[in-house]
Amino acid sequence: MLLVVVASLALGFKTVSIGSFERTGDNVLGLKLGLDLQGGSHLVYQAVLTNDAGERITPTADQMDSLRRIIERRVNETGLGEPIIQTLGDDRLLVQMPGVGDPGRAKSIIGETAQLEFKHRQLNVPVPVDLDASQIVSVTIGEFPAPSSKSTDELIEGAETSTSSLPQTTVTTTAETSTDSGAVSSTGAGTDGDAPEVELSFLLVEFTDAGAEIMDGVLRRMLESALAVVTGSSSPANTLQVDISGDEFRTMTLPTQFVARVEGTNIFGMALLSTAGRPLADTIEATNALFGANPEVDFVEIYGAFDEDVGLTGDELARAYAGTHSASGLPIVNIEFNGEGARRFGELTQEIAGTTDLLAIFLDDEELIAPGVTQAITGGAAFIQGRDFTPDRARDISQLLEAGRLPIPIELVQERDVDAILGADSLRKSVFAGLIGLALVLVFMVAYYRVPGLIAAVALVIYGVLMLAIFKILPVTLTLSGLAAAILSVGMAVDANILIFERMKDELRAGRTLLTSINIGFNRAWPAIRDGNVSTLITCAILFWFADTLGATVVQGFAATLAIGVMVSMFSAIVISRTLLRLVATTALSTRLSWFAPVGKKFLPEGSK
Amino acid sequence: MDIVGKRGWLFLISGILLVPGIVFLIIAPGLRPGIDFTGGSTVTIEFADTIEQDDLRNKLAELNVDDATVQDFGGNTYFIRSKELSETEKNELVEQLKAGLSPGGAEVLAFDLVSPVVAAETVVAAFWAVLAAAVGIFFYVWWAFRNVPSPFRYGAAAIIALIHDAGAVIGIFAILGVVADIEVNTMFLIALLTVIGFSVNDTIVVFDRLRENILAAPTRSLTANVNLSISETLGRSLNTSLTLLFTLLALMLFGGPTLRSFLLVLLIGVVVGTYSSIAIATQTLVVWEQGDIGRLLRRVRGQSQSEPAS
Repeated sequence: MLLVVVASLALGFKTVSIGSFERTGDNVLGLKLGLDLQGGSHLVYQAVLTNDAGERITPTADQMDSLRRIIERRVNETGLGEPIIQTLGDDRLLVQMPGVGDPGRAKSIIGETAQLEFKHRQLNVPVPVDLDASQIVSVTIGEFPAPSSKSTDELIEGAETSTSSLPQTTVTTTAETSTDSGAVSSTGAGTDGDAPEVELSFLLVEFTDAGAEIMDGVLRRMLESALAVVTGSSSPANTLQVDISGDEFRTMTLPTQFVARVEGTNIFGMALLSTAGRPLADTIEATNALFGANPEVDFVEIYGAFDEDVGLTGDELARAYAGTHSASGLPIVNIEFNGEGARRFGELTQEIAGTTDLLAIFLDDEELIAPGVTQAITGGAAFIQGRDFTPDRARDISQLLEAGRLPIPIELVQERDVDAILGADSLRKSVFAGLIGLALVLVFMVAYYRVPGLIAAVALVIYGVLMLAIFKILPVTLTLSGLAAAILSVGMAVDANILIFERMKDELRAGRTLLTSINIGFNRAWPAIRDGNVSTLITCAILFWFADTLGATVVQGFAATLAIGVMVSMFSAIVISRTLLRLVATTALSTRLSWFAPVGKKFLPEGSK
Repeated sequence: MDIVGKRGWLFLISGILLVPGIVFLIIAPGLRPGIDFTGGSTVTIEFADTIEQDDLRNKLAELNVDDATVQDFGGNTYFIRSKELSETEKNELVEQLKAGLSPGGAEVLAFDLVSPVVAAETVVAAFWAVLAAAVGIFFYVWWAFRNVPSPFRYGAAAIIALIHDAGAVIGIFAILGVVADIEVNTMFLIALLTVIGFSVNDTIVVFDRLRENILAAPTRSLTANVNLSISETLGRSLNTSLTLLFTLLALMLFGGPTLRSFLLVLLIGVVVGTYSSIAIATQTLVVWEQGDIGRLLRRVRGQSQSEPAS
């Protein structure tokens, strides 16, 4: 009866194991790999914080948290894989970047000291383009020349892509027109597409070499700001204002996609369209007639947003902390400035208050937040509120402000870079070596212990499957040393089996039946297995603590793997081997006692088969 | 099988094993500490062109890389150890080596940097880790053997065997440091702690049999019980060690160079650990049981000129 229960139990365990195996698959790479096996960079930074007297002090947990956030921001911006960033102990920060071959760029970015700046953001500020009449060779109005229509297409298309998500809706017309090389098919916006066909006029300005270079610079800035708009910045894109004077004076405000350089020349073509997409006149002739024979042009670049540096930085910020508004209960970020900062902040808010200008706050040259200002704040204490503020967001912002207020200098104290190819090579070799080792052990077990050896071999395979399953489920990061630990724990599993079989052999020799021998053997072997493994677990725990102190994830992986291995090996020896042995003892095999003892019959009592 | 009676010989073998290592440890330079314990940088670099180790050494001297040492990993891959290199210094070094030695190019396979601050902490932490492991094991063994007479001695004997094993491994690495430039690093420390774990594990198996035999026949002499227990566990000890040696040897031969010195520690540790369970741990119990040192010395003098290593 008991046997039946035990047997079904064994079947249960087998199913579980097989199930896990199916889940893990036979692919080692399905496991989470450490940096030494997959390649990557392991960097440890030390916060070097000193007090006013120049003595080293330990940063607070909040400061370390701010530091972690700020570095997380910077590393994420570089787009280098998926970094793992965590604080180690009191004053260290661990940055792990898997799969990064050359961490140089990330390192230089991480190492920078945080820069917090408050700037006056003015919208639509005109800035004269640094061009005078001497740099303009000629001004004509005509169709857009297409010396190489392909490249022109690309140019315009590029602009179209970048602006297609702009609020302006008229973009497509220019692109269509230019692909037709000036053959007109413009549909003015707001005319529902059934407008009469018009010929699109371009203002063609030829510059000197120096002038063309300046114009290129202007175009680049405009394109960048247009892209910034697409990626979510709230300020409007830069535009180019062209004042054309002749018989008539017109001011054109052109977004970036309305302006292009004619390839291979110093000529810049500008579509003469209003911001609403309407041409000035229906034909080139009519447009020419509008301005007369000698039009003159003047360029003004209009910055979508211009951030004026007012010299207010993190140095002047006294404090930043998250809170809730006393009246509305909404999350806010409180900021307080010190004496000099309060004065400058007062001036700044005075200028901004009541305008559409914004107070732009930059961290590491990246916009953190840009609130408007309702009134001049002269007391040096203010709060920021936002419609999208959650308590978490308010805390994030205040922590980043704090990080910028009191930048914590950091230095690199440990680095470990492993090339991905080397990592893959190590993995392949270790797995291969491990398999050979395992095969040798299995052969030895079967050759020496016979039927029990075979059962131990089966138990060991199940053990391996269980280990894989646990690795995947927890998940344990598999490192090179972890792989060594896993292989070592196979040794422990074998040892447990050997202990049991030796005891069993003793009982058989004493003339007991097979089943009794199995039971007694297991009971006798248990204290040794228990005590031995507990002492290994003690060592593992100490290794783990040791690794935690040092931030040596490699060591931690080893300790964790060995500990899991030891526990699973106990389970495999005590539960799986025993159950399997008992199962076999009920079969016909059990009559051949000599198959259950090493080195044949000589250990067995007289008369046994 | 009278193993206890031959313990003089066993102690002699341990002495032969330990003394040279201790000598090498005491005379300079002792263990050759890697950058984990001193601070510095290591670069593992693979050259596209075939180069000579001496050329690399000369080039490094020419470039004024302080205290640079070079190891050949095979396949035109070299392991260069130097003072702490910053990112720029490392790049500069690699460029110079490429230009001077291997126009076909070179690739940095691995780069390590450890600041002296971290290195100093590692040494301290390592000391505490070993001490903590020893104390933890001592108390556990003491507690596990609370049913036999003088359980305290079992804990102490396990620790003596542990020190013996750690001493043997460290000594052998001190010798290897001199003859083969093998350095000790954090991985060595992990391996050493693993050896300690294994050593105690093995000792406990023998002690466990002894515990059983003592409880079964309390009137029998300790010597007889020890002899019986050792011979009863010998098969298991040898088989376990053999299987472990199989796996370790397979890993060493096929596992690539990265883990080689780590595995060497384990290999030595497994052999020494198995030996010490029989030759040191249980014999310490007998020596202790038989009382005064004077009588021990007389016995030892009567049998051989050996001195107890414990």
